[in-house]
This record gives sequence, structure tokens and C-alpha cells, in this order.
Amino acid sequence: MLLPRFYNHRLKCMASIEFHNLRKVYKDLVAVSDLSVTLQAGRITGFLGPNGAGKSTALKCLLGLAKPTSGTCLLNGKEYSDLDHPGKVVGAVLDSSGFNQALTARQNLKIICAANDVDDSKIDSLLELVELGAVGNKRTRGFSMGMKQRLALAAALIADPEILVLDEPANGLDPIGIAWLRDLLRSLAKQGKTILVSSHQLAEMQHTVDDVVIINQGEIIAAGPLKKIIGRKSLEEAFLALVRKK
Amino acid sequence: MRFIKAEVLKLLYARRNYGILLGAMALSSIGTGFTPYALNRMKGVLVSPLTQTAAVDSVYSKALGAYILVVILGVLVVTSEFNQKTAIATYLASPKRYQPLVAKILVASVAGAIMNLLATLVGMGVAAYALSFYPEAVAPSSSIWLSDSLIAMLTGAIIAIIGVGIGSLIRNQSLAVTVSLIWFFIIDRLLAVLFVEVGKWLPTGLISGLENLQFNYQGPVVPFNPGDYLDPWPAAGLLTVYGIAFVAISLMTTTRRDID
Repeated sequence: MLLPRFYNHRLKCMASIEFHNLRKVYKDLVAVSDLSVTLQAGRITGFLGPNGAGKSTALKCLLGLAKPTSGTCLLNGKEYSDLDHPGKVVGAVLDSSGFNQALTARQNLKIICAANDVDDSKIDSLLELVELGAVGNKRTRGFSMGMKQRLALAAALIADPEILVLDEPANGLDPIGIAWLRDLLRSLAKQGKTILVSSHQLAEMQHTVDDVVIINQGEIIAAGPLKKIIGRKSLEEAFLALVRKK
Repeated sequence: MRFIKAEVLKLLYARRNYGILLGAMALSSIGTGFTPYALNRMKGVLVSPLTQTAAVDSVYSKALGAYILVVILGVLVVTSEFNQKTAIATYLASPKRYQPLVAKILVASVAGAIMNLLATLVGMGVAAYALSFYPEAVAPSSSIWLSDSLIAMLTGAIIAIIGVGIGSLIRNQSLAVTVSLIWFFIIDRLLAVLFVEVGKWLPTGLISGLENLQFNYQGPVVPFNPGDYLDPWPAAGLLTVYGIAFVAISLMTTTRRDID
């Protein structure tokens, strides 16, 4: 098993996402236990684990939406609460996030632009980027799951953040949409953005990510470059072997 | 300023809010439209009801009853974020959670003041029209339009803040709206009428105190006496204290609880 320390060791450039001894307890349930890992800037990292492993909780702690019981989470060396302009540092798509369904896609993005102090003139180009240009003036109530995911991506990119945190971004996307998402993430990584993506679609993740962090029952069970973690196996085989071993 | 702008856009874009405004106007108008008839039937209790300035003023002041829908506006400012799952985007935009919340409180209070003012003015117009059917009705106090407008703005602002506080405490939208309606439509009103000693310290009783109506009774038994309510300035002060308390509740709950 490759431990987080090994993973940290190989990182020479600036770390953009760091978890230090993160622990989050809900009453009697330990959702995350002593999670420590440092993610490299400019790469796509898959954040994997079975249901209830603690992925979403860790991401919420990272984004300041949940308070850690102990430990810290850093984005570009700062806690979320210390960021001057968080929208320009990190954009997020969480599985529990949504849009006001009574408003149009454009109105929803205008509100997010205003909250992030971003000129709303870029909304058209963002809608084109996520291939929703034709439905920008339609209420999101009628949007499919895939369209909502694309809109969520547009919202996450609104302030051109350096880091993207995506929780199940491929949910609801058809095969063409998944291929589109893969290309989009790769192009964003080429621009130097750091992307942390949580997903259960392991076959797709194998084609998308550079590194992986696998957690189970709130603890890291493997972390490192994808090729070193999986060896000659597929990501799914390696994942199942690690999770069952734990 | 960016959070205020975002909250103003949310308020203006949501068609539901225009429905609440129309509802408030309707509620206010129904109250003032039927009160002359109801007062006219109280001849055994009040001395020539519509020949008393206080009674005619009370018809106009019925227009203030739309605050019940203003509290719903305040509740929805918070709970709709959790209902529509937009809370994450809202709170991700700020490193300090109190910033978007303060923007919500400010925008809700201004919107509440405006909404209650508009509803009250429409209701007062209906009052003037309804009273025109009663030739014996005297003119209202010369200051009634100004005083009721000021009361409408003050109560609208504070009641909206109370709504934000309720929404922060009870994030479930249906539950928060139901609790607010049951409290303000039923319990608070009954207490203000049937148990004045308790009700005069609560919002509906305080608003009645602000109206400062002094009737001339002749009957032996009346369920309540408007003279039992607090005087306008203490009532305004206590109402403001309620607003401050609910701001504190909103801040404490929003900054301490996780955002889901």
C-alpha cells in the first residue's frame, strides 16, 4: 500500500490542497479519521472510496462548509476562512449543490457572478463552454441531471479559480457528456488548474486522473500516482482489492 | 456590497416574491374593506362606532395586518437556499459566513419595509373607499397616512428580520412557513386579544400599541382594551429589541452549523 507520506515526498512544487490530520465526528459516527494528504498543483486527482467512506465530508471541511472536529484543510496554504476571495481560489461542484429551479440558467449564474464580484459579461462564454448556450434563458426546473451538472461546472468556473473540487461531476452525464467532461478537465489541468474529483465511475476516472487518493471508513488506504497505485490492474480491480483488504 | 447585490437579484428574480406582495395587498385590503361593516355592527359596544375618530383610524390601521406575509418573505430568504440547495454556492462565495447572512438580513428588512408599506397604502386606499359607503363616518386623524406608513415600514423591516431568524433556526422550508403562519396568524393574534397581559409584549400586541387607538366604550364587557397595550415608543423599542435578538439568533445558528 502506498501511504500519504510517500505521496507527499514526491511533491516538489507548490501544494495546492492539503489535509492535515483531518477528523470529523457526527455524534457517534466518525466520518473522517486522521486524514492527511497533500495534493499537487496542476494535476487531476481522483478522490475515491465506497459510499460513506467520508469523501463528501472531507470535501465539505475543505470548503469551509463543515467544521472539522480537529485538524486542518488548506487551499494554497490557507484555510478557507482565511481566503480573501475564495471564488478566485476554488470552484466547487458538490452533489448536494443545486440551482434555484424557478430561475433561468443565466439568472442563476448572474447571482453567482454578483456574489463573487465577477463581471457577468462572461456568462455567455461560460454557457457556451458547457454547451448550454441555447438554453441559457430557460428555467432550470426543466433541466436534465446532465444539464444541471454542466451548469454547476459553469458556476464553479465563474471566477476562474485555480482549484476545482468536483464531487461526482459525471452523475447524469451520457457517454458523450462524460467524454466531454474528460476533455474539459484535461484542458483545465493543462492550464495549470488543480482538480480534485470524487467519483464512483472508476473506468472513467482511470482515463482522466493523474493521481488517486482512496479512502475507506474515513481513513486513507492508498494515495499516489495512478500508475503506481494500480500497477498492471485496472483502477477498479486495484480499488476493490484495497477496499476489501481494509 | 457584492453579497447585497446577489441578494437583491435573488429577490427580484423570484416571481414568488411578487405573489407574496400581491397577497399582502389583498390581505390588507380585505382587512380594511370589511372592518367598517364589522364596526358598524358593534353599536352595542362602541358609542356610534364610525363617528369616533379612533374607530375610523382603526379601519385604516387594519391595513397594517399584512405583516403576516412579510414574515414569510423573511423565512423564504433563508429557507429557499436550503430547499433549492443553493446555500452551498451562497456560502462558498464568502470566507466568513456572516457576510452573506448580514446581506440577507439587510435586504430582507428593506424589502419587508417596502412590501409592508405598499400593502398598507393599498389597504388604506380600500379603507377610504369602504368608508365612503357610510355617510356617518367621520374623517380619520390628519396624521393617519403618515403614522401608519411609518409603522408599516418599521414593522415590515423588523418582522422580515424575525422571519430570517426563524428560517435560520428551522431550515426546513415547509416547517418554517407553517410554524410562522400558526404563530403569527393564530397564537400571537389570540394572545393579543384574549390575554393582553401576555400578548402586549409580543409582536401583534406591540403593533397594536404602535397604532395607539383609544376607543370610547359603552358596553360592560369587551374582550380587550386597546389602552392596555404599550405606548407607541416603548412598543417600537421592544419590537426593535426583537429584531436585534433575531439577528443574533440568525448569526449564531448560521455560523455554527454545517451547511448541507
